[in-house]
Amino acid sequence: MKVETQKIENALVAAVSGRLDGASASDFEEKFSGALVGHGGSVVCDLGAVPYISSAGLRAVLVIAKRLSQADRSFLVCGLSGPVAEVFRLSGFDRIILTHEDREAALAALRLSE
Amino acid sequence: MLTLVEEIILLTLEDKSGKFIHVPEHCIRYALSGAVLMELAFLGRIDTDPKRLFVTDREPVDDDLLDPVLGRICGSKEQHDCSYWIVEVGRDAKDIRERALERLCDNGILNVHEDLFLWVFRSRRYPSARDGSSERKEVKLRMMSLLFSDEIPAPRDIAIMGLADTCGIFARLLARPERERARARIDAIRKLELIARTVNGSVFDIEIELARAMTMRPY
Repeated sequence: MKVETQKIENALVAAVSGRLDGASASDFEEKFSGALVGHGGSVVCDLGAVPYISSAGLRAVLVIAKRLSQADRSFLVCGLSGPVAEVFRLSGFDRIILTHEDREAALAALRLSE
Repeated sequence: MLTLVEEIILLTLEDKSGKFIHVPEHCIRYALSGAVLMELAFLGRIDTDPKRLFVTDREPVDDDLLDPVLGRICGSKEQHDCSYWIVEVGRDAKDIRERALERLCDNGILNVHEDLFLWVFRSRRYPSARDGSSERKEVKLRMMSLLFSDEIPAPRDIAIMGLADTCGIFARLLARPERERARARIDAIRKLELIARTVNGSVFDIEIELARAMTMRPY
């Protein structure tokens, strides 16, 4: 599981790749939290390269979303496809966390909200 | 910190008398089963997806409520989905409840009082010990603050909300208009956790069976 970050406009875009499950959830949380250090703006989490997400993976995403929301920072998820999109829809995560089709759509939504 | 099993037990006791509120047997059975499975999931021992429940770490957690269940899942020759384990673990719900009550008494949160009804039938009450009511209030406050806000819930709060809803606790905590206002939020939060969602599905299945049995024509 990898988390690669880059700053685009005022947002931090974190591209996650690999499975998000019980084996990688804590690693994801740690890497993601590490990437947030020193960045105070909005965050886009690109799950386009995540082929599988379990309940533990969803919980890890939720913990990050909650932490950012408490700090009054926007958190958007994008790039959901296949089984990951299905799990997000089934669990209603897409009603609690803002989701967008792709990175460009997420960044455009952020631009509009600023 | 209390386990989910202990928290749901506290929520099913009346504040002052310490008597159990009426919760249908199948609801409390599956709620306790779900509480054990979710606790194991939070401790990183099991994980779930819509098709299966699987072990991620076989190391015992040193808890007499959780380790026997972890042992059973580890020992299973086949992999099953979450609803299978909700039903399986639910068979031990009576023992789980007894052990959780013992723990709450041992830890000074509850007292046990034995009463005699008609000089013959024994019944037990579990009133709060000295300051024990604070734990119950804390769980209720956490749920209420989450219900009437847009806050993103923490995983443990999602779990306890789902279990409380299964046991009909909100009907006792909220007046009907408030409950109706909170219904969509309760449903949205409960859905976030697969095990809580499955507990609810298992309860629903039983209720459908009961309704079918009651409406069958005798020949």
